Amino acid sequence: MGRLFAIEIIYRGIYQKTLASRISRAIVLAAHQEGKPGISFGRYGDSPERNGIPAKNFAIVGTDQETLEQGMAKYEPKEVDITIAVDDTLFKGVESWAWYGLQPVNKLLKPGGTLIVTSRETPEALIKMAHRKETPYQLAIVKGTPSFSGLWVYKDDHTDVRILGAIAKLLPELFSLKSVQKAIVNEWKDPVKAESAARSCERISTTEVMPNQGNPEIPYKFEFPKWHEMGEGIAIPSIPAGRAVEDPVSHATGGFRPDRNPTFKKFTTRTMRPVVNFDTCIKCTLCWLQCPDSCFDVTPEGLYDANMQACCGCGVCEAVCPVKDCVTMVNESEFGDNASQWEDWKKDKAAYKIWLEDKIKTRSERSHGFRYRGQYEEQIPEMLRIAREG
Amino acid sequence: MATYVQIDPTQKLEPFKAVKKIPLEEYFTSGHRTCQGCESALVMKMMAKAAGPRTIVLGSTGCMYVANTTYYSTSWVVPWMHTQLGSSGSAALGTAAALKALMRKGKMKKEPINVIAFCGDGGGADMGVGAISATLTHPDYNCLILLYDNESYANTDIQLSGSTPWGANTTFSTPGKMKRIMHRRWKKNMAGMMAAGHPECRYVATICMSYGLAGMNSIRKALTIGGPTFIHSLDPCPKGWDYDPYQSHEMGELAVNTGVWPLYEVEDGVLKLTGRTQQIAAGKIKRQPVRDYLLKQGRFAHFTNDDIDYFQSKVDAMWEKWLVPGVIPFRREVEEDHPPA
Repeated sequence: MGRLFAIEIIYRGIYQKTLASRISRAIVLAAHQEGKPGISFGRYGDSPERNGIPAKNFAIVGTDQETLEQGMAKYEPKEVDITIAVDDTLFKGVESWAWYGLQPVNKLLKPGGTLIVTSRETPEALIKMAHRKETPYQLAIVKGTPSFSGLWVYKDDHTDVRILGAIAKLLPELFSLKSVQKAIVNEWKDPVKAESAARSCERISTTEVMPNQGNPEIPYKFEFPKWHEMGEGIAIPSIPAGRAVEDPVSHATGGFRPDRNPTFKKFTTRTMRPVVNFDTCIKCTLCWLQCPDSCFDVTPEGLYDANMQACCGCGVCEAVCPVKDCVTMVNESEFGDNASQWEDWKKDKAAYKIWLEDKIKTRSERSHGFRYRGQYEEQIPEMLRIAREG
Repeated sequence: MATYVQIDPTQKLEPFKAVKKIPLEEYFTSGHRTCQGCESALVMKMMAKAAGPRTIVLGSTGCMYVANTTYYSTSWVVPWMHTQLGSSGSAALGTAAALKALMRKGKMKKEPINVIAFCGDGGGADMGVGAISATLTHPDYNCLILLYDNESYANTDIQLSGSTPWGANTTFSTPGKMKRIMHRRWKKNMAGMMAAGHPECRYVATICMSYGLAGMNSIRKALTIGGPTFIHSLDPCPKGWDYDPYQSHEMGELAVNTGVWPLYEVEDGVLKLTGRTQQIAAGKIKRQPVRDYLLKQGRFAHFTNDDIDYFQSKVDAMWEKWLVPGVIPFRREVEEDHPPA
């Protein structure tokens, strides 16, 4: 039996659907250049995709047809040589359509396997976000702002080919740089993209992540009835009505916190989170009323506290807020937990103000796809500059 | 109205006087797998909030079924049941009839219970239009059918529906090199059709939850007036319309302010334009150019200036040529139509 290669691409649903399928398809085409058969597919359980909810693509390659067929007899790989996370906030964990509970981004990596990520963060910051793994693995960063576009208009900022070039260096047994360049030129007829791949291949380096490094939390999971345990017709308990909120300092109760679906927390959908300036809030209700995810808890004094387990980071609250800088969306990688901002503010208003101003000041630019025609054309040169200069 | 029709009392749901009067309680809560910035989820939340705790919700297949009630989980606080794609009308009528019968036979406490069936544009404006129409002809059953229209079969990754606007990119109408515009039909006028065609239906309205208070009050009116009612909501969809979800709220406002989505209600046969639409029609504010709306959406990214002009001319005709502007597309004479090549 020959060797079987498995690569998974974890991506943000819809925003990176085209990007992920371009990468996994090109991996297989590059392997074809060396006579290795392979197959690229999206994970059925992640469909239908939703904006931001993590999803997966797989590329499976064998050194011969029989090995590939044996590999494909499994529904999807149990372990992979390379995991590609095309957005760095996925390091906080993955809660997709296909399962309930949180899965670490590095879950499927073989011992010594490589986790490739597109990010502008340092290795230290990224390692801290990912859950700990029992075996060591390699971390490789393709420097750049994670590439987000939409279903119809693709942002061609060379993220795809830069990841392909990195694979040629990190797993040379799968395909060489020459093969992947050939596949790129055949597929996209663009020699500049082949150059970007070469530069990325030359530059990529890895950091070893040891079992004692990373987030020590145990990811949560849920048990559900299996298909053979179901009866005819399905009735499931509804969500209980919510209750009042307790002030952490005065212990007064009031306001309202809705009960929430306990089995799907939406925070791994998030790439940005709202930070709220409670001192300038005018209690206009708009963030709370217009939030499609009912993520705002109403506090006893009538303020609105975004619950960080339920917020998926759409940014509507920032858009509807009439007060300047009262609600500001900040890159999710800036935060280490899901604590209540309102409770922090209640406990120490001066410290909260410093924290808030720091978060707003240092926030790096992020976007969630198409805002207006011509926007990608404005963003691409900066990404190509990073690709050139590293 | 004929005396043999037996209309049961409805709940008393007063209109909310201001946003601050809206109750804090949620009856559709967090933990659904919809897209970031999903306006249809917002419609569900506001619909449930407006209706209150004594409500039964029936949902036909679509995003609001699939994403909100994935395997053994739910975001509903009030009772909810799934029904087939085209059967929101039948489910609403059947449930209302069952409640009526159970109460008459003394098997249930006599009390008014809101029955709401929702459907998407695929389930409602395409497949379910027959059943909705049938329900609206039965004046003695209290139920509301709410159509949440995201202008495509969004759940299954954006196939074209009868509600998709002219020229939009969908998986069934991908622009090509030879033919740029692959969807050459104008959006179906669902609310106008329901209002014009069902003389016994006491309330038909269009809403957009970018104007949440007005939308919730419209739902309250539909639930209290008695008999079957119909509400058509336009829901901007970041997935299918291809825009950054932080723009969801603004996109709804743009749809109304450009005149693409007229807000109106028909109560006991009396038409009233509402909200911004009323102000536009009265000349108090100007209609915004549709260009402002189209250029912010990736689904129209292939439009040329000619296409935008054509879209504008169709919206202009809706306001200037229709006998009942924005509502009923009858004209005094045949208009020539010159879509771009």
